[in-house]
Amino acid sequence: MTPYFAVITDSFRAAFASRVLWMALIAIWILLAALAPVGYRQDYTTDFRSQDFYNGTRLKAMLARGTVDETVSEQPIGRLAAAMPDELSRNLRRVGNGEEVRIFLRLFADALNECLDDESWYSEDAWSETLQFRELRELNELPEPLDESLRRRRARLRIEAALPGVFENRSAQSIRLSYAGVDFPARFSTDKAQFLILVNQFVLPVIIQWLMGFVLVFLGILVTASMIPEMLQPGSLHLLLSKPVSRRLLLLSKFFGGCVFVLLCVTQLVIGLYLIVGFRLDIWNMRLLWCIPVSVFLFSVFYSVSTLAGLIWRSSILAISVTSIFGCLCLVVGVIGGLFDTFVTGPAKIRNLAVVGETIIGSTKGGGLVRWDDQQGSWSEILEGNPLGMDRIIAPVALDPNTVVTASVRGGRFNPFGSGATDLLVMTQDSDWEGEPSVRLPTSTTEVYLSGDKLLALNAGELASVSIDYVLSEVGAKRSATNDDEGDSKQEKETGIPGPSESSSGVARDNQAGSRGWLQKLSSMMGVATEGFENLLPQQVSLTPPRNLVVDPEGGFLFVVSRGRLIRFEPPQSGSGTWEISSEASLDGDVSKNVLLAISGEVLLMAREEVPIQVFDAATLQQLGQVDLPESLDPISLVGLPGNGGFLLGSSDGRLRHVKRVGSGVFELTGPVGPREVESVHVDRTQGRVYIAHHIDRLEVLAEADLQFVEQRNPIAAGWRFLEKYFIAPARFVTPQTGELGETIEAIISGESAKTILDGPEKGEVVRYELTRPILSCSIFIAIMLTTSCYYFSTRDF
Amino acid sequence: MILKSASASEGMMDGEDEQVVVDVQQLAKRYSGWSLFGKKPIDALRGVNLTASGGEVFGLLGPNGAGKTTLIKVLLGVVKPTSGQAKLFGKSVGSIDARQRVGYLPESLRIDRHHTARSALAYYGRLSRMESTVINRRTDELLELVGLKGRDRETVSRFSKGMYQRLGLAQALMHDPDLLILDEPTDGLDPVGRNEVRRVIETLRDQGKTIFLNSHILQEVEMVCTRVAILSKGKIRGAGTVRELSQRLASEVVVFELEVSKEIEVSSFVQQIASQLELDSSQLDWVEGEGNSSVLTASLPDRSQVDQMVDALRASDISIIGLEKKRPSLEELFMQLVNDSGSDQE
Repeated sequence: MTPYFAVITDSFRAAFASRVLWMALIAIWILLAALAPVGYRQDYTTDFRSQDFYNGTRLKAMLARGTVDETVSEQPIGRLAAAMPDELSRNLRRVGNGEEVRIFLRLFADALNECLDDESWYSEDAWSETLQFRELRELNELPEPLDESLRRRRARLRIEAALPGVFENRSAQSIRLSYAGVDFPARFSTDKAQFLILVNQFVLPVIIQWLMGFVLVFLGILVTASMIPEMLQPGSLHLLLSKPVSRRLLLLSKFFGGCVFVLLCVTQLVIGLYLIVGFRLDIWNMRLLWCIPVSVFLFSVFYSVSTLAGLIWRSSILAISVTSIFGCLCLVVGVIGGLFDTFVTGPAKIRNLAVVGETIIGSTKGGGLVRWDDQQGSWSEILEGNPLGMDRIIAPVALDPNTVVTASVRGGRFNPFGSGATDLLVMTQDSDWEGEPSVRLPTSTTEVYLSGDKLLALNAGELASVSIDYVLSEVGAKRSATNDDEGDSKQEKETGIPGPSESSSGVARDNQAGSRGWLQKLSSMMGVATEGFENLLPQQVSLTPPRNLVVDPEGGFLFVVSRGRLIRFEPPQSGSGTWEISSEASLDGDVSKNVLLAISGEVLLMAREEVPIQVFDAATLQQLGQVDLPESLDPISLVGLPGNGGFLLGSSDGRLRHVKRVGSGVFELTGPVGPREVESVHVDRTQGRVYIAHHIDRLEVLAEADLQFVEQRNPIAAGWRFLEKYFIAPARFVTPQTGELGETIEAIISGESAKTILDGPEKGEVVRYELTRPILSCSIFIAIMLTTSCYYFSTRDF
Repeated sequence: MILKSASASEGMMDGEDEQVVVDVQQLAKRYSGWSLFGKKPIDALRGVNLTASGGEVFGLLGPNGAGKTTLIKVLLGVVKPTSGQAKLFGKSVGSIDARQRVGYLPESLRIDRHHTARSALAYYGRLSRMESTVINRRTDELLELVGLKGRDRETVSRFSKGMYQRLGLAQALMHDPDLLILDEPTDGLDPVGRNEVRRVIETLRDQGKTIFLNSHILQEVEMVCTRVAILSKGKIRGAGTVRELSQRLASEVVVFELEVSKEIEVSSFVQQIASQLELDSSQLDWVEGEGNSSVLTASLPDRSQVDQMVDALRASDISIIGLEKKRPSLEELFMQLVNDSGSDQE
């Protein structure tokens, strides 16, 4: 191989002799020098910001109640309300008196920040009834005086305890970036671990992608495009071909030699970044170094085109032009493919399934509701979704073999609490699945669950129940009222104005509020039960994210997990009123991660990111054991199988795995089972079937007992889906997916197989990184281009 | 060692006991060409036969477009023949084994500007699969040979044309090849540069290297080549030593320097001698000089005819002051062969 190494090493010499290389290296050094002074320091999270409010409406309502309701004046909300500035206090009083008043969240943030300095509002007695997390309890036990930061931190936690369900879950530590020792004004309310994720999953990939995916690739092509045409100059080529070397290997050596330029630049940049984030941010991420070969690989895709063009036309200009056209083609195909993903295939993805008798109903990511039509062999639409993804649909729940309930939340995707009141829609087979409005759901309801003869509605922080009989009885009564609402909604859609709201949190618009008392309206704004519903959780319990909830289908128990607490509730003996806590457990590890919960027989399974899957006794919440998920996989979905059949865990690789007990306290993860690219799973206990939506909207049915294949249903593509399936997808297949290599870089740097994008009130959409496909696609493309080039070069007379 | 060549019409040269270096049989190369009116193929080589054995300096001559470069490209495996076969050292041209034993200096050599003479020689040495230690030793030797010692660490971008050609020659010799193919090695050089390159070739010739020299500078070929082949319009028109060619292709010319003491009628005298020697009158050229001197140029292929001519002149009382036998120059032969091929229609 000596002669071919000679060609490659000669390319190193040529690269080092190139002025363009030195200019590029100097530019890289300047960039690195500009980044080097970036630093950070950690501090306690104290000050409130607008983004810290999870439910602004609830905050406004709680403080308004504290302002006007004399009975709570000595309770935390009353004491805090009394500490509000005069202007804000006047507005809160107006809210309490039933007026529609718009208050910006930043005013609340400013007012609460003032409270951090002056804690005269605090009373130990008043706060004794609040739910206090471990951090606050520990701070309360520290001797006075506290350090200023700690004191402010404690004050913040006291405010959060006084106003449950109002705040986003923020880390105790904040990161403040600095440049050359000067602090940035912005502050990141994340701890070191989250900051590390932020840097690794977003900042570094963006830098790498932009600098290497665009700048260095383009620069590299400009510099190296002349290598092949220059080699083909008679005095150079004939001399090379007279040497005892293979033409094919000679060309390949020249090709790899051409990659040297980019290799040198990328190596400088990546190692520089690695050292800077290591020394300055204490993030020593060895995976960053993998970006070097990946970036060179990306460049080689384009350089293979340049090589073939240079061989055929023997012109640098043409080689650059053809490569640029190819780059544009990749971009256009990628953009069109992305548009189809966003507006065609994405919204059609089945997010939740419900089996109603013989009918399969699914809710889509686009906020639509569809029904499987056996005659047409495809999904037929029940509720139209919104391709722009502005709407959200509440997962359908089958009440009986003829009835299903759901709700469509307008503007729900980016405004999780919706822009108007939401009625529960009842659909029956008899009415051809036409949605008929029933009870009004509590404000900002996100999920609906079935528990015996009750329907549970989970909203921003509360859980309310309503009897199914009441729901069904309200169908007719609501019909006329809904017609009025539809008029309003239509106008709202046309104007694009989502009604009165403050910032993104929105305000529940209750048309019937005028006929109710001010307290009832405040209660509604606070998210507690509306008409027909009654609160299910004790007052000191609020379900703030990250949270999850599972209803035991057999025993009627309820399990919730919220902010690191796992609680088992039992229905009240009296049959009405709030449920009672029967068991409770605190969770270790990072409680800010998404959490999944499912029950199977007497076992409760909980899955969180970066933590082993934990198995609990459903009665006592004692941990029975744990199961490790393969590294780099994150849990995405979890369902329990009836009896002691175990669990089906969906992971970030798009596969399902079976978790089952193999011995006393010993659990095993097996699989994968079922199809790839799983979208959602539903267990139908009545038929003993597991329904799996996969590959957007295909269905596969497994037997519940042994998880063996039973049947599948592949919808016939029509319209845009037909275009996507038969034109866009093949075009994407034959075009190297250079854009997706960016995801590969993200995955490599973050060490994750998926990322979470905020896609709802609490749940993020987990997007799997495409690792294999882009690399395979680009590898095949490079192989084809180089094979063609080698054939051309070895058979052609020169 | 002796390198011999022959055209097909003349049959294979002898020398069975010598190693055959170049063996070309019925070699044809047709380039596909296009014009507005459709395909227009170009026959660069049309049945070339050439057999050369190791040892001497072989010159390939021909006018522009004769097919010389195509023939060299075929020998190097750069282009593939349309028909026929060509072998180097008994191996197919283009094979790595054959190329391993060939050194080549292209007509317009290009060496990347980032190289110095030393690094370029190391690069081409590695391309020829040489070991590092051998490369270092050969580099020193060759830099000495081509007169570039002391300039070996300068970038080649500063080299003159002559230095560039000498470096090219050194790289061709780097792996000590058995056959050296030089394509217009003195093209573009001034007389000093040509002399330098010629000196190197002569040194190599003295070392016993086989050299295949493609040139249209006839004087140079005549000076250094022991054998030549003349290629025109894709065919070998003649091959052998210059002497063999002249003997084969042209009659020996004898120039008589005369002193005529009496009045003679030149034209009738020439007619008389021609009939006496059974010659065509066109074979005799009488040119009167100053005074009594004249010069008679006669094409006399047979030595007895020279004797008869002397006898006839003396019988006519004409004094023979001088007598010189003259062979035709290579240029004359070249022109004759090329002109003869002018009427060759394919």
